[in-house]
Amino acid sequence: MRFAVDTGGTFTDLVLEDDAGALRLFKSPTTPDDPIRGVLDVVDVAAESLDLSAQELLGKGTLFIHGTTRATNAILTGSTARTAFLVTKGHPDILLFREGGRSDPFNWTQPFPEPYVPRALTFEVPERIGSQGEIVDALDEERVIEIASELQEREIEAVAVCFLWSPVNPAHEARTGELLAERLPGVPFTLSHELNPALREYRRSSSTAIDASLKPLMTDYMDGLTSRLEDAGFGGRVLVVTSAGGVLDAHDIARAPIHSLGSGPAMAPVAGRYYSGLDAEQDSAVVADTGGTSFDVSLVRRGRIPSTRETWLGPQFLGHMTGFPSIDVRSIGAGGGSIAWVDSGGLLHVGPQSAGADPGPVCYGQGGTGPTVTDAALTLGYVDPGFFLGGTMKLAPEPAAAAIASQVGEPLGLGVEEAAAAILELATEHMARAIEEITVNQGIDPRTAALVGGGGAAGLNAVAIARRLSSPVLIIPEVAAVLSAAGALMSDLTSDFGATHPTLTKDFDLEGVNATLAGLVERCDQFIAGPGEGSLESQIELAAEARYPHQNWEIEVPLRIERFGVDDVEQLRQDFHTRHEEIFAINDPESAVEVVGWRARVRCRLRESESRQVLAQQASHEPAATRRAYFRDAGEVDAAVRHFDSLEPGEPLEGPALIESPTTTVVIEPGATAERSESGSLRIQPGAGPAVATQADEA
Amino acid sequence: MTAESGAASSREGRPGLDGVRMAVLSNRYEGIVRAMMNTLFRTGRSVVLNTSRDFSACIVTGDHRFLAAAESIPAHVMRGPDMMAEHMTELHPELKRGDAFLHNSPYHGCSHAGDHSILIPVIDDEGIHRFTVVSKAHQADIGNALPTTYAASARDVYEEGALIFPCTKVQEDYEDIDDIIRMCMLRIRVPEQWWGDYLALLGAARVGERRMLELGAEVGWDTLEAYTEEWFDYSEQRMIEAIRQLPSTRFTAHTKHDPFPGVPDGIPLNVTVEIDAEDARIEVDLRENVDCQPCGMNLSEACARTAAMIGIFNAIDHGVPANAGAYRRVTVHLRENCVVGIPRHPASCSLATSGLSDRVANAVQRGLAELRDGIGLAEVGLTIPPCCGVISGFDPRHDGAPYVNQLVLPTLTGGAGGPAADGWLTAGLCATAGTMLRDSIEIDELRHPIRVVDQRIIPDSEGAGRFRGAPGGLSEFGPVGSTMDVMYASDANISPALGAVGGTPGGLADQYKRTRDGELVKLDPVGRCTLEEGETIVSIACGGGGYGPPVERDPERVRHDVLEGWVSRERAADVYGVMLDDGGPVDRAATERRRAELTTDDGPDA
Repeated sequence: MRFAVDTGGTFTDLVLEDDAGALRLFKSPTTPDDPIRGVLDVVDVAAESLDLSAQELLGKGTLFIHGTTRATNAILTGSTARTAFLVTKGHPDILLFREGGRSDPFNWTQPFPEPYVPRALTFEVPERIGSQGEIVDALDEERVIEIASELQEREIEAVAVCFLWSPVNPAHEARTGELLAERLPGVPFTLSHELNPALREYRRSSSTAIDASLKPLMTDYMDGLTSRLEDAGFGGRVLVVTSAGGVLDAHDIARAPIHSLGSGPAMAPVAGRYYSGLDAEQDSAVVADTGGTSFDVSLVRRGRIPSTRETWLGPQFLGHMTGFPSIDVRSIGAGGGSIAWVDSGGLLHVGPQSAGADPGPVCYGQGGTGPTVTDAALTLGYVDPGFFLGGTMKLAPEPAAAAIASQVGEPLGLGVEEAAAAILELATEHMARAIEEITVNQGIDPRTAALVGGGGAAGLNAVAIARRLSSPVLIIPEVAAVLSAAGALMSDLTSDFGATHPTLTKDFDLEGVNATLAGLVERCDQFIAGPGEGSLESQIELAAEARYPHQNWEIEVPLRIERFGVDDVEQLRQDFHTRHEEIFAINDPESAVEVVGWRARVRCRLRESESRQVLAQQASHEPAATRRAYFRDAGEVDAAVRHFDSLEPGEPLEGPALIESPTTTVVIEPGATAERSESGSLRIQPGAGPAVATQADEA
Repeated sequence: MTAESGAASSREGRPGLDGVRMAVLSNRYEGIVRAMMNTLFRTGRSVVLNTSRDFSACIVTGDHRFLAAAESIPAHVMRGPDMMAEHMTELHPELKRGDAFLHNSPYHGCSHAGDHSILIPVIDDEGIHRFTVVSKAHQADIGNALPTTYAASARDVYEEGALIFPCTKVQEDYEDIDDIIRMCMLRIRVPEQWWGDYLALLGAARVGERRMLELGAEVGWDTLEAYTEEWFDYSEQRMIEAIRQLPSTRFTAHTKHDPFPGVPDGIPLNVTVEIDAEDARIEVDLRENVDCQPCGMNLSEACARTAAMIGIFNAIDHGVPANAGAYRRVTVHLRENCVVGIPRHPASCSLATSGLSDRVANAVQRGLAELRDGIGLAEVGLTIPPCCGVISGFDPRHDGAPYVNQLVLPTLTGGAGGPAADGWLTAGLCATAGTMLRDSIEIDELRHPIRVVDQRIIPDSEGAGRFRGAPGGLSEFGPVGSTMDVMYASDANISPALGAVGGTPGGLADQYKRTRDGELVKLDPVGRCTLEEGETIVSIACGGGGYGPPVERDPERVRHDVLEGWVSRERAADVYGVMLDDGGPVDRAATERRRAELTTDDGPDA
């Protein structure tokens, strides 16, 4: 039996897979003061429903896969280790200056962000390596030793070391690491060339500093998780989801904890890829995960999940860059809890403020006063106030409607339903725009990609988003409400290695490149023989990070070979031209191509893929046959209400309709058609919605 | 100019839906501009594009009103693209789908010759010109007589030397007009770099065109235009509310640009601002200034109008959308043949996006700040120190291949204190508002035979204030295995970025050459410095002005600045009146005493 537990901001989700491959879904509140308790709680919930003790249930487990926001939260709340930063002499302000940039030109009310490590804990080390790896100034080892004793005096808990050009010549960093290990036993440190050997000193410094600062805490967390699971009866292997969309052993995460940042959202596309593969004809998909406070978009491009090098913790230009490739997940502050408001000029806004889990939307009756997207959905009749989360939480429709009427309806001169519909529509627009930005960036036309909806609040406006983007089909998997945890269950053991070895296609360094690739493959092989031992199969993917000469931003081109022969260079050049045009609408076919870096991704499959059918969930009540619901174009109508499990595969259900399960509600707008696929997913033809901005002409 | 009576109140009758549609459509416009910017950033070949992001993209209506620009550089877009689009229709009355125009003429609406722009008219299926999309990028080189896009000493456009394109058709039916390309390839240094940037500019504009055509087809062109009007009306309304927060008054702010070649006494400026709060209008008068000067400092009309606008937008509620709707409430009076007005050909406008632009914008925002504590902004830093100079030479690592590029190192700091926050460290200058990115040392060293040996903020160089300015920054760099030219033109060697409402000025800019034996030799504020192997140039960028009296600064913030090495203990005591115990905590009683002393004196020294 396998467990996948995703600790989210509001709920901790568990997907349990039995040995026949059948899935069961569970949710329990997250416990921020001690997240491991929330993990054990949701196991208790599962055990109870299966009439087992937690000890018995965990005793059957072979794999426990965990997605955690522990590292992210530690950074957001400033509870990471007291970290020192060692940097090349002359460059103490790399973390301060960052890469510049500002997003709102006339807003001077935003203070400049503090560096990730304060200047007061930054130490300049006399040494310098040049752009070709040559030693310009030798490492001053005496000074490193002095710094080490100063760090001891100042009770530093972790050390980050990033010297200029260390990816090309790591000698100085490596020696500094030896000296630190000698002088500061027990104090963890991170060397930039080991963690992230990529050029651009700010990004590499930032990764190094973030990683070091997480080491003490994540080592404790991983130790706590594994030992408490063992105490509770689990004897299998504990894996943790990485920002790259794979899993690593818990003790490996403790050694490079930066990989656990964004650990939850990175899994949604893994599940999205699986279900779009089963249920959609398109080989590309947009995966949209709507939670209470954030809307996370990720992609599947021709069966692959694209990644990005630009991952920000917090807002762009204000947060910190991880400097690490990660699954390209675009998050915006939009979700069920986003608050709607009208400004002094009469413009409607939805978010970015969120009511979060506490106090939550007005309808939770926990003190929330600002009308939210969830309140709007309730007011429109989309959500059954008595069957929210399977009836475990009763909702109050009247205060929700009153808040919408007074805070949105009146200022805009709209009736309450119109106002609620406007809130959902604007939320839809924000979400659609987030999707457009990431698809533009990755060169995918959303009109040719399936839309996969996940997250507890996905169903409220997924059809509307699909229409706005002209998506050919919308897939709502049966596991939609726990999409990330479901993805964790499907993920492979992965690792990612990079090397810098610049070369031009017109003057290709065959020997050097082949040696570099061989080195990367060897590291992958070591991974397969190490953490990957016993896996069912393994796969190594190689890619070039390439650009036109003088460009600055590489795009990744998958390699067709593991070792270059003379003829393979032209193939690489052609593949690059094709990719460049896909992404940017232009290419320069006469030009040579410059490869800057090489990457290898290793993937070890841990398990057979099984049916992954969700076991029927006991409905706590039989829904009424219809409910009054308001749609912008149809007005108030009787919408059919169906339980998810009552739909037979192939049976078409035309909108207006509401499809309910204990974990979510899916709104099928008039003109859309839903059916259940063999895999259990809802397959929805969005139909042609009315074009944006035509409503006023009809009004 | 747009008629001011254009504020038709089509909102009546269905105000609610408009709030929704406007929000949706303004989001769509911004999304389209971002898609254009992404193409420029990712595909540009010069460092000035693909690293420092010195480019912009925007949408202008069919009747040439500025609509949307996302995170573009204010100096590139606030005014200019509208004027360029208007010239496009005058010079090319028959526009067809597939046309594209290359534009860099400061006499036809472009900011300065260094900003190559591509204009593409968005033509609907009926052949009607609905919108114009504009991409604009500062070039590494434009074929000037000297290897720089900032020809401070050029007496006129002839001596400046660039090819000037007054909205020249460069594509027809989506195909390049090769004559134009060939001219550029022969005149511009490192032509393949320019060619890559041209492709990026064109790609960005084509992306914008495609997306606008899709939007028009989806929404309907007339509906789109109707809502665009409402978006302008809404923006105007926000501007009216913002102006009503200001006192009605008229003032003249004075400022002075440092002496530069051709202007040995510097350029004093008078900037008169009149606010009518009740009628919600602002007028800025730049006419009482000297004629065009025999140097590259003259403003283009686009830059003169934009500079006044930047000063206003920096000073008011930042929620006002910057577009032609808001502009209806602002009039900028210019005079022909004026150094900060409408240049008369062949006056050179080579430095129009910085130099006097920053002086004008700073004078406006500082003048507004002086009206009442709580509005406005102190002065942002001035440019262009060597850390943002144009470097050129031959790369010994690549068989002596020539290179030319503008550096944008992070030490161009300069953020100004304001009513709510300290100066943004990497604000740079008013004209760019910190939107530009900064070079990576490793990328610069990879791309050019250069080594950056030192780079840091300069303690005690901030304009002190309740909210302080950003400190100045120091960069030191030189060539590796070769000779390198650095061209720069640095204001604020004499006149600093001033503080406002009791804040002090930022530290001055300066520049030195370090010889092989380590000696520092002071350099002129404007120059072409040739560095031999083993020599370096030291660039000192000025600090930003402070806002409000320094003795009112939160002592905990002063303490933080001291602990972090931004401000010395001495300065904390002498200027901020904050006394720290040995261990670091603020000595409250001593601080109160010290502050009382400082307030009874004539105030702190700058």
